Amino acid sequence: MKVIKIDKKEWAKGLERLSKTYQLFGPAKHEAFFVFKALEDGELPDLDVQNTRLSPRSVIYPQSEKMFEYTLDEDQEDHHILKEIDKEYSSRAIIGIRPCDAKAFLLVKRNFDAPEYKDPYWIKSYEATTLVGHGCNAPCSCCFCTTAGCGPFHEEGLDILLVDVDDTYLAKIITEKGDRLLAAAGWDTKTDTATNDPIENMKEAAEAKITSMVSTDQLKDKSTTDLFEASFWEDVSFACINCGTCTYVCPTCWCFDIQDETHGLSGIRMRNWDSCMYPLFTFHGSGHNPRDTKTQRVRQRFMHKLKYYVDKYDNGIQCVGCGRCVRFCPVNIDIRRVCDLMNSFEL
Amino acid sequence: MGIEPGRLQFSWISSAESTKFVEVVNEITTVIKALGPHENFVKREASIA
Amino acid sequence: MLSYIDKIKEISRRLLKESKVDMVIGFRKGTVVMMNEPCFVKTVADVDKLVWDSNCGINLANYLANRTEKIGIVAKGCDSRNIVTHIIENKIKRDQVVIIGVPCKGMIDRHNIEAMAEAEIQEVIETDDTIQVKGAGFEKTLDKKEVLQENCAICVHRNPVIYDELVADEVKEQTDVDRYEDVRHIEALSPEEKWDFFEDLLSTCIRCYGCRNACPLCYCPTCFVDESRPQWVGKSQDSTDIRTFHFLRAYHCAGRCTDCGACERACPMGIKVRLFTKKLEKDCLELFDWEAGLTLEKRPPLDTYRPDDPDEFIR
Repeated sequence: MKVIKIDKKEWAKGLERLSKTYQLFGPAKHEAFFVFKALEDGELPDLDVQNTRLSPRSVIYPQSEKMFEYTLDEDQEDHHILKEIDKEYSSRAIIGIRPCDAKAFLLVKRNFDAPEYKDPYWIKSYEATTLVGHGCNAPCSCCFCTTAGCGPFHEEGLDILLVDVDDTYLAKIITEKGDRLLAAAGWDTKTDTATNDPIENMKEAAEAKITSMVSTDQLKDKSTTDLFEASFWEDVSFACINCGTCTYVCPTCWCFDIQDETHGLSGIRMRNWDSCMYPLFTFHGSGHNPRDTKTQRVRQRFMHKLKYYVDKYDNGIQCVGCGRCVRFCPVNIDIRRVCDLMNSFEL
Repeated sequence: MGIEPGRLQFSWISSAESTKFVEVVNEITTVIKALGPHENFVKREASIA
Repeated sequence: MLSYIDKIKEISRRLLKESKVDMVIGFRKGTVVMMNEPCFVKTVADVDKLVWDSNCGINLANYLANRTEKIGIVAKGCDSRNIVTHIIENKIKRDQVVIIGVPCKGMIDRHNIEAMAEAEIQEVIETDDTIQVKGAGFEKTLDKKEVLQENCAICVHRNPVIYDELVADEVKEQTDVDRYEDVRHIEALSPEEKWDFFEDLLSTCIRCYGCRNACPLCYCPTCFVDESRPQWVGKSQDSTDIRTFHFLRAYHCAGRCTDCGACERACPMGIKVRLFTKKLEKDCLELFDWEAGLTLEKRPPLDTYRPDDPDEFIR
C-alpha cells in the first residue's frame, strides 16, 4: 500500500485541479456545528472538525430523492407510465469523511447492493463517489468505534486515508479509485518516501484515546425471542419521545418511504428517509399497526441494529460507533447502555 | 409569517345577513385582487434532489 | 437547587412505600455531560437513582398523557403549568397525580455551552451559581445565570403553580425581564423579510419532529403531518412542507404553550423553534391577558367566548 506526502501548501492547488473533474463535498461550519456540503469554487473542506452533526450519508443517499416522473395527461402517449429521471452520476469525492462514516456505507451496501436486490440510485451514486478519509486524532468521548468494528484510522470503506502530520498530509492509497483521485489532483507523488510508521503510531495513539466501549460478543448467541421479550424494554424506552433524531443522524440507517406527488397533470415518485421511530412506519393499509406503541418501536430500532442485522449478515452490528445518536438524543437514550443490556441478557 | 396584511380576513356573518355577506365578499376580493397572487406558499413540484 | 434531591427522594420513598402512587416520574443521571434521562421509579429501592440538577430541562408532563396509573411526578414551574393544561384538556385526572413541586432556578443551555467551549466538554461540575466545564486543555467557570436556556432566563413562573408537596421554599420570581424582545424584532419586519427570516430559520430542519414530540401539548393520536387519509402535508424536504409543519404546529399550541423550551432543547439542529410559539404566547397575553396553565379555574381563550373579545369581527 502506497503512502504519499502532500505538502499542506500544495493542498488547495490540488483540490482546485480535482474540482475540474470531481464534484467535491466536505465538512464546513454552519453556525454552531459542522455539515457536509458541496464545496463551492475555491472553498476548502474545513478539516478542523471533530465530526459533522449529520453524517455524510445524504451525499450518496439524499433525504428526499426523485425516482420517477409521470404524466396523467391522456393526450400524451406515455400517460400513467413511470419514467426514469435522468440523473447525473459524474465523479464526486467526499474529502474529510471520518473512517466511521465511510465504513457505514459498507454496512448500508449489504442492504442496497445485495445479490437479490439492487438499488440503482444508491449503487450509481456510491460507485461515482471517492471517499477521502481523515484519521481521527482526537476522537470524541461518545465515540465507541473501536468496539463497533471500526476505529479512528479504520481503512475499510475508504479509498484514501489522510493523516494530519504537522505541515503535511500523509495520504495512504487504499483503492484504485483513490489512486485515480490522486492522479487527478496532481500532487507531487514522487516524494514517495513516507512510510507507514507514523500512521501506525498515530493510529495506536488515537485508539488509546477511545475509552467508551460496547460488548457485542454474545449478541449472536442470544435467543431472538428471549431478547424480544426481555423485561428491560419498558425501562429503556420510557424516556423516548419517538422523534427521528437517532435514525436521521445515523450513518447506517437506510429505511425510506415512497411517496407520489401530483401537481396538475404531472407528478413525481420520490423517496424520503423514514424512521422506525414514527408511528406511520409500519402502519398497514388495513389500519392495523404491528408496532403501535413506542416500546415496540424502540425495541425494533435496537433489535434491528444489534440482533437482526448481526444474525442476517454475520458481520457485526449495524453501527460504527460514531456516537451521534448518543450525543443528540433529546432524552439521552444511549445505544451503548442498551447494547450492553442485550449482550449480557440472561433469562 | 410573511403573508401580507389584508390577505387573511375574518368576518362574522349571520345566515340572515345576506347583504353583509355580499359586501364582505366584494370587499375581500377587491383587496386580494389588488395584492395579486400569493406565490410564496404555493407548492408546485417538490424542490428536492 | 442541588440540595433538592434529598427531599425529592424522601417524598418519592414515602409515596411509594405508602402505595400512594404506582410510580414516580423523575430524572436519572445521564450518560453524557449536561444530560439527564427521564425515568420512572416503581420501588423504594430504585429511588436512589433519581437525580436533580440544572440538566433536567425536559418537560416531564410529556410523560403523563393518557397514563392510567397513579403517578408521582417531579415538576418545575413549567412542568406544573403543563400538568394544569393536561388536566384542563382531560389528558390526566388531578387525583391521579401527586405533584412533587420543584422551585426552579433555571436549566442550563447545553447547546450554547458547547458552542462556547474551545473543544469537547468532558466534565461539568455544578454549584448553586456556577457551571464549571472541563475538556482537553481547557477549563472554565461560567456564571449559571449567563448560560441558562433562553426560556429560563426570561421565565416569570419558576415556582410550581400547582403541587401536593414542595421540595423547598419558593424562589423569588423574576420581574425585570423582557420576555418578547425577539418576537418584537420579527414583528417589525416586512412580509418579505419575515418570509426570508423563517426560510433561513428552518433551512436546517431535518423533520425529525423532535420539537413536536418533546412538547407535552403534542399528544394528538395522529398528528396532521402523519395523517395519510387524506394526506395534508407532503413528506419530503420541500421547504413549503417543512414550513407548513412548523406553522401549523405552532398554531395548535396557541393559548396552551407555557414556553417550557422543550421543543428548542430537543432540536438536534439547534433551530430556535420557540420563535413560532412565542409570538402566539405574546398575543394571548396581550389580547386575552392569558398565560397558559396558571389555573384550573379558567377556560383557555381558544375554547371560550367573551363579549369583550378584542377582535371586532366576533363581537
